[in-house]
Amino acid sequence: MSRKRILIVDDDPDVRLGLHVRLKANDYETHFAADGLTAICEARKCQPDLIILDLGLPGGDGYSVMERLQKNPEWACIPIIVLSARDAKTDRERAGKAGARYYMQKPAKNEVLLGAIHRLLGDEVPSNYEH
Amino acid sequence: MGHEKIQVLLVEDNPGDARLMKVFLAESSANFEVTHTFRLSEAKEYLAHERPDAVLLDLGLPDSQGLATLRATRKAAPGVPAVVLTGLNDEELAVQALKEGAQDYLCKGTIASNLLIQSLRYAIERQRLQAETEQVRLQQIALKDEFLSHVSHELRSPLNAIYQFVSILSDGLAGECNPQQREYLQIITRNLAELQSMIGELLDVTRAGAGKLSVDLQLTSVSQGVEDAMNTVKGAAEAKGVCLTADVPSNLPRAYADPSRLRQVLVNLLGNAIKFTPAKGKVSLKAWAVPGESEMLQFAIADTGSGISPEFCERIFERLYQVAGTNGGRQGLGLGLYICRELVAKQGGRIWVDNSSKDGSTFCFTLPVLSLPTLLAPILSQESGASRSLALIKVELWSPGGWTTEGTRETLAQEARYALGRCVLAELDVVLPKVEVAGDSEFVFLAARADVKGAEVIVRRIKGQLQRNEAERREQAEWCVDVRMIPFADGAEKWPKEELSKKMANIVQNELEEWTRVPRGDKL
Repeated sequence: MSRKRILIVDDDPDVRLGLHVRLKANDYETHFAADGLTAICEARKCQPDLIILDLGLPGGDGYSVMERLQKNPEWACIPIIVLSARDAKTDRERAGKAGARYYMQKPAKNEVLLGAIHRLLGDEVPSNYEH
Repeated sequence: MGHEKIQVLLVEDNPGDARLMKVFLAESSANFEVTHTFRLSEAKEYLAHERPDAVLLDLGLPDSQGLATLRATRKAAPGVPAVVLTGLNDEELAVQALKEGAQDYLCKGTIASNLLIQSLRYAIERQRLQAETEQVRLQQIALKDEFLSHVSHELRSPLNAIYQFVSILSDGLAGECNPQQREYLQIITRNLAELQSMIGELLDVTRAGAGKLSVDLQLTSVSQGVEDAMNTVKGAAEAKGVCLTADVPSNLPRAYADPSRLRQVLVNLLGNAIKFTPAKGKVSLKAWAVPGESEMLQFAIADTGSGISPEFCERIFERLYQVAGTNGGRQGLGLGLYICRELVAKQGGRIWVDNSSKDGSTFCFTLPVLSLPTLLAPILSQESGASRSLALIKVELWSPGGWTTEGTRETLAQEARYALGRCVLAELDVVLPKVEVAGDSEFVFLAARADVKGAEVIVRRIKGQLQRNEAERREQAEWCVDVRMIPFADGAEKWPKEELSKKMANIVQNELEEWTRVPRGDKL
């Protein structure tokens, strides 16, 4: 059985590495993009099962990435988790409207993030992650 | 210079004095344009449409006397400099007027042409400078708040990376840790949490400064809030050997407040109390309905710490205030109590320190209770042809896979609220405020003065509204509509109105509690 693919979009290399280690340990395959434009290219190339998306990005912010993904029916169904340092109510609402399935503020607790990923991918949720 | 036009409103009831002023002003090289009114009422009328450069104001007018005249004028024309005219022996009044914002005063009878003109010119100039200074001050505050908001966002990124990698190490994803390493990593994690809450405080403060601190008022369960807050601070109390207790009556009415903000205030006050209480000390939390003031709940957090001197009791709620020389340990940012005060005030309560106990200090705050009797009174007092029962209608919304974002949950609840709002008859129905619930469902309630048939009609209309909106939804949400009939007791019509509203409100309250407590699965 092939592992599920997660595309990590964040301009901070430390965040990308940290998420990679965490997700790999949970048996996911990771792909990366550091800006909005690359995110779209990578989504096309690697056909991810899920995207973890930062909002403040160079080359088109998180919202524009979601907008472009939503326009293509092939990508519109890829679940997106927004992981951002912003916590304004407006961002939460805007991200929800743009198609994000979860909104999490950095630093998100590992069990919360993994719980959301498991839920969205229909994977079995390890009991200690259920909240 | 001679072309400059200066508009002056002269408010003076004595025709002789008024004539003299006009003559003086006409002598000036500047082009004074005088509008003259005899009464305050006329002046107010004029100021409603015009904005003169200055007001020359006699304080004793037929329709207003003394400082009241000045206050009314300043209210009618904020930012317009006022020069007051007083009697010869009225220096005290003149000084009072200056304190209340008059730019200058002139004693009638000693006024000469050049003095009058000089006074007006100075007044206008001073007012302009004041306005400029105020504008600069506001700009600086805005700039500082923007900076703080930027800083706290920027601090989050490295904090996030530290959290990620510390948890990677302590979870053994980069090799097993020995017990000592694990203990040290726990210390890092604990400090991270502290740093994170400080950053949250910084953000809250910038929002409070800009008046943007958000509170989402709803019918909030106090016992739930207390339980959550106690769980949050339990670890800190245990680590320090402080005994922590909470005493909240189970029948306490719901507060009309923001549940997450209530937790924040409680956690902050409890955290402070634990911090300033030595080992083996006690921290206790109590909540009760204020006797005789049934619309308020009071909370008290008492500790057996060193207490607070009376002279500091007011000041500790100020922004950035720290009582100097308090225990040598960490002090925090000094923002917590300021944020608490802002949050409590925003929810309609107040906060203070009660210093009456001998040892330690007690922090008290109040929150309002939403008065159901008042809310229901209008539909209960409806008499002609109205039904002898209330229908309590519930719309429950939930998402089969769980809500993905809070945003969609909120949007859907708003939508349901809106749908209910459209089915309401102004005099017979009332949509109740949002109710905090523990589970995953979102509830909206409507109380209607209706019999069974009437209730059926309302339910049909609500369902229709919700179905119409369904097509546009991004997220799949399920909903159900439910009704409970609450008949009037025999002879209820003869009861005093207040008693009827009170009794019915009690029943409605119980039904609400019942309804929101039972998990959905059991009902279907």
